[in-house]
Amino acid sequence: MPISFRGLHKRFGPKTVLDGVDLDVRDGECFFVIGTSGVGKSVLIKHLVGLLRPDAGEILLDGREVSRLSERDLYDVRKRCAMVFQNSTLFDSMTCVENVALPLRKHQHLSVSQAATEALRRLDQVHMSEFADAYPAELGDGMRKRVAIARALTLDPSYVLFDEPTTSLDPINARRVDQMIDELAHRLGVTSIVVSHDLVSIFGIADRIAMLYQGRVRVVGTPDELRRSTDPVVQQFIEGRAQGPMEV
Amino acid sequence: MDTDTASLTGIQGFAAKVGGAPLALVSELRGMWSVLARTLYYVVRGRRERGAIVEQMFAIGNKSLFFMTVTMGFIGMILVFQSGLQAQKVVPDYQVLGPLYLKMLVRDLAASIGAMPLATRVGAGIAAEIGSMVVTEQIDALRMCAADPIEYLVVPRFVASLIMTAALLIWAAFVAFIAGMITANLVFEVNFHTFMNATMVEPGDVLIGFTKCVAYGAAIPIVSAYCGLRTFGGSEGVGWATTSAVVNSCLAIIVLNFFISAAGYFVFPT
Repeated sequence: MPISFRGLHKRFGPKTVLDGVDLDVRDGECFFVIGTSGVGKSVLIKHLVGLLRPDAGEILLDGREVSRLSERDLYDVRKRCAMVFQNSTLFDSMTCVENVALPLRKHQHLSVSQAATEALRRLDQVHMSEFADAYPAELGDGMRKRVAIARALTLDPSYVLFDEPTTSLDPINARRVDQMIDELAHRLGVTSIVVSHDLVSIFGIADRIAMLYQGRVRVVGTPDELRRSTDPVVQQFIEGRAQGPMEV
Repeated sequence: MDTDTASLTGIQGFAAKVGGAPLALVSELRGMWSVLARTLYYVVRGRRERGAIVEQMFAIGNKSLFFMTVTMGFIGMILVFQSGLQAQKVVPDYQVLGPLYLKMLVRDLAASIGAMPLATRVGAGIAAEIGSMVVTEQIDALRMCAADPIEYLVVPRFVASLIMTAALLIWAAFVAFIAGMITANLVFEVNFHTFMNATMVEPGDVLIGFTKCVAYGAAIPIVSAYCGLRTFGGSEGVGWATTSAVVNSCLAIIVLNFFISAAGYFVFPT
């Protein structure tokens, strides 16, 4: 398995967020992590790239334990494993092209002009080249998301983590983002881990789904297996019912 | 049994309360030390972002100029007016008012008083900017791009603050002196020539004053960046980070003033 979480524990103060998560992600699949808000989905994927350190447990990326690497050693991990943040998280003070060029300048040490040329090409791939000199504040949510995806893909990563990529997007832009993720996984073979609670995305493009509940993995399976699940927690989530066993 | 447990819990609770504050202080100091050490490392070994330092010098220096001029002008007037009033009660001779005021300004007051308003403006700005980047995950995004937030955000502010704080505080001394001289002339009829007497200022005073300028210039961005980087939560967290940056920067200035003044007293006694 290229990505494995083994007995992952994480607490924030008195609150246990991850309480022994075991999970494997296969090569080239579009893997969704679902669950209610605050259940620890984003926390889980941030561990993979060293943005958070676990209290216990281990994380294997291509067989290498990454949770104890130094910040500098993690740069190599982050080169291979990119992340698209929940709110796009573009740098306010930079234009779109500067945002996309930054990983090229820092990871690959390209000159400003070389990085800008490559960044423009990447922006063109997501149909954003005409907004290259615009600042993030001048763009809509969907456009910002596309720039964020261009930035994440600029180093040709083997793995991409998406943190709620369709949140705050209108349905049309949300499906466009889904399409990009789907193409990444199924046409380019890039392994994608998508944190989401957007049911249309989940049942539209996921190869497999893991549901987090009370700090642990409740269930892992294909979309069809989840639909057929008799687990009342899973059923409550996928039916979007307010009443059920799931604690608020 | 229950009573024993309760009393033990009480003692533990008391011990936790008493010991918690010093432990928190030690942890804060360690955090600031870590930011300072990494900043110094990247100042020497890091790669510079083109124009980043100049941009920060403009933000810290030029944009503070008017505020500092007005503040130090009024402070200079108040200091001389109050000193003159007190001196009037003891010796109605204002010949030493100017030289003594200049010595105090050079040795301590211009740097220490001038650094306070600067800490509020610059410190709050740095903490709010970095804190906002923390809560909007921009710091995480920087780390994903292999850009160390210390190297990318703190180093330009640190270098810019070192240069511009020193420059601003020298300007502050000049403004406070001129404002004081005009006040002395208008209120106590001290002529400009008598007031503008630098015979009491010694090289040691200049060295101590300049050391303070540099120390405050280093402390403000380090303390403020540390407060910004440990921001937690949303906009409320940014508010707390900004407040603690201002409070801690002012505290740092006062503590540094004490130690530099004490060291200065032994090396260059007045």
